[in-house]
Amino acid sequence: MSVRRSVRGPRGLRAAGAAVAALALLAAGCGGGDPDGGTVTIRYSWWGAQDRAELIRKTIALFEKDHPHIKVKTDFAEYADFWSKFNTQAAGGNAPDVFQNSVAFLRKYGEKNLLLDLNAQVEAGNLGMDDFRAGLDKAGEVDGRLLGVPVGGNTFALVYNPEAFERVGVTPAAGWTWDEFDAAVHKISAAEGDLYGASDNGGVMYLYDLYLRQNGKAFFTADKKLGFTEADLRQWWGAHYADNKAGDLVPAKKSEQIKPKSSVSGDLSAAEFTWDNFIVRYAAETDTELALAPVPTTDGTRTGQYISSLMLSGSARTQHPEEVAEFIDFMVHDPEVGKTMGYNRGVLPTNAQFDAYEPTGVDAQIAAYEKSVTGVIEPITPHPAGADVAEAAFLRIYAEVALGKTSVDDAVTQFFSEAKTALGS
Amino acid sequence: MTRTQMTRPDVVERPRTPHRRTPEGPRAAGRRRETLAGYLFLTPWCVGVLLLTLGPMLVSLYLAFTDYNLFDTPRWIGLRNFRDMFADDRWWHSVRVTLEYVLVGTPLKLAAALGVALLLVRPRRGQGFYRSAFYAPSLIGASVSIGIVWRSVFQDDAVVDRAMRFVGWDAGGWVGDPDWSLPTLVTLTVWQFGAPMVIFLAGLKQVPRELYEAAEVDGAGVWRRFRSITLPMISPVLFFNLLLELIHSFQVFTSAVVLGGSGGGAGGPADSLLVYTWYLYEQGFRNLRMGYASAMAWMLMLGIGLLTAVLFRTQRGWVHYEEGTDAR
Repeated sequence: MSVRRSVRGPRGLRAAGAAVAALALLAAGCGGGDPDGGTVTIRYSWWGAQDRAELIRKTIALFEKDHPHIKVKTDFAEYADFWSKFNTQAAGGNAPDVFQNSVAFLRKYGEKNLLLDLNAQVEAGNLGMDDFRAGLDKAGEVDGRLLGVPVGGNTFALVYNPEAFERVGVTPAAGWTWDEFDAAVHKISAAEGDLYGASDNGGVMYLYDLYLRQNGKAFFTADKKLGFTEADLRQWWGAHYADNKAGDLVPAKKSEQIKPKSSVSGDLSAAEFTWDNFIVRYAAETDTELALAPVPTTDGTRTGQYISSLMLSGSARTQHPEEVAEFIDFMVHDPEVGKTMGYNRGVLPTNAQFDAYEPTGVDAQIAAYEKSVTGVIEPITPHPAGADVAEAAFLRIYAEVALGKTSVDDAVTQFFSEAKTALGS
Repeated sequence: MTRTQMTRPDVVERPRTPHRRTPEGPRAAGRRRETLAGYLFLTPWCVGVLLLTLGPMLVSLYLAFTDYNLFDTPRWIGLRNFRDMFADDRWWHSVRVTLEYVLVGTPLKLAAALGVALLLVRPRRGQGFYRSAFYAPSLIGASVSIGIVWRSVFQDDAVVDRAMRFVGWDAGGWVGDPDWSLPTLVTLTVWQFGAPMVIFLAGLKQVPRELYEAAEVDGAGVWRRFRSITLPMISPVLFFNLLLELIHSFQVFTSAVVLGGSGGGAGGPADSLLVYTWYLYEQGFRNLRMGYASAMAWMLMLGIGLLTAVLFRTQRGWVHYEEGTDAR
């Protein structure tokens, strides 16, 4: 008996040992191996919808054909989910090698030393920063470091229904004022039919930023604080809420219910403030003709507008900074990439790409609009860390006001409290 | 194979006492080897528990007392996260939303489960089919896809909206209406009553038929029989289901996020779907306040633990365990 057991015992042990070894092997397998045969794999992720993903995959195919030794692994998600995932990956030291970014996040992640300073790669000749269109070449620089390279430029605009504005005899033009805009909106809403003059954009941080800039202020100050007072915000939200109650703006419940469409592409309103490249999506969602108009002014000249842009950034922890730089270089300079992407991420960043792409349809509208506002573009202030959280709170809290769930005064207090936490001031 | 190997030593060595004085004997050595083998076989599970459950839990307990933004070193701040929580209006709001969801959804779900189980307990044709049909929703319930289906059913101009308009009630989409979005979420959980139903069915089958027959002879009606026989007899099952569903509902996440996320940022219109776990996630992964999120997680655990303890306390008053069985 004891003889049999002494044989069986070790066998049991051996089997268990084998199981553990197999597990260890499995774990090692998940870790990914070395680059074999000189091929380097870089991970690239971005936010956006399916249409963007299809275009980007085509551009990656172009890149891989041109750089046979680099393979690109892709991953994408919707905007908010993208950042949750990115935060998780980055916290684990596993951020994608190269990823879509925007001006709003340069400070936030730059301060955490998560972004690759691309200046070294520019000096090494792997990335060219020449040939960028005006206002874009310096867009990714923060405190002397190059943290992002623009892949497209966007400017804020009014997406509107020209037929509805024509009916009330108003033609939006450069230098028009808020009073003219409000009057047109009121007339459209008062006219027969279900159409409201405008969406309620009281919670859109970028619009309020422009309004503040027209009045010599800004949403964020250079020292990373809010650039306006509680009284300022009470006035802004109070005016929007009053217009909403008076029936000039789309009621909040309706605009919530029409989601994921926007009020203007859901044919609820005749005008909505947003980034000019959004007209691509809106035009696809409605049969109504839409056009782009400049933002109204306070004094008849200053709109406060600036070019924002989507960018590509590298991860500071990437093992392949050269390949990342080559990838970014190809994506911003290659004319074929420009032809493929069109204005999906905004107007193309370099002259080579801008000239290669012949815009048609809504893209032609965007090109014309961008050209029309070139003269009024001001420099952009990079947002402080936490600006994205403040932006989301601004939108959410005003929506509660518009829905009648809270008063303007309480909402302003709430926003200042949340913004203080977010900006860490 | 493994099992016989592992149990055999005990069987063989029934008269243990004589061997105790020679622990280093060959048999003891063999046993130790086998014990070791047993632990080795357990290793994958142990590693999983230690690395994926226990470890993170302890770390999160530590983080609950720190200011941690995922990237910089955590900074010890004592109880400040908890103090902030009580001063945070949105935290209170998320507690309210979650309680409303749990306190309305769970009783309705259990009532539906018990009701359908009572209908299905009697043998009849097609019984198997009906059971599967009612059970099916709880198989797919927690998935993202069903959340998407639910959203599109209750959206503006979708099936429900049109049906309601047909009967003269133009409410628009329920999902986008801050007053109706939570009821929409509740209907989703109630619809998934299949799992508790199956447990109720098992419980109902245990009730001795003689009790009903005797009651019928005494002239007890349907309601009386239900109140005086069925309910007390299945009270252990009811208790089990109640406990399970309560704990489960407090942790609602996926369905609320999918329903509330139609506009990009979940939480629903006017935060009406801001369930506790979502607010926790938002604070941790979007606002990068991982210390605060950890504190919230432990607060939730405390809350659920407290509720469970209270429920266990009350069971003496209403849960009847049959004597002589080992139901306890």
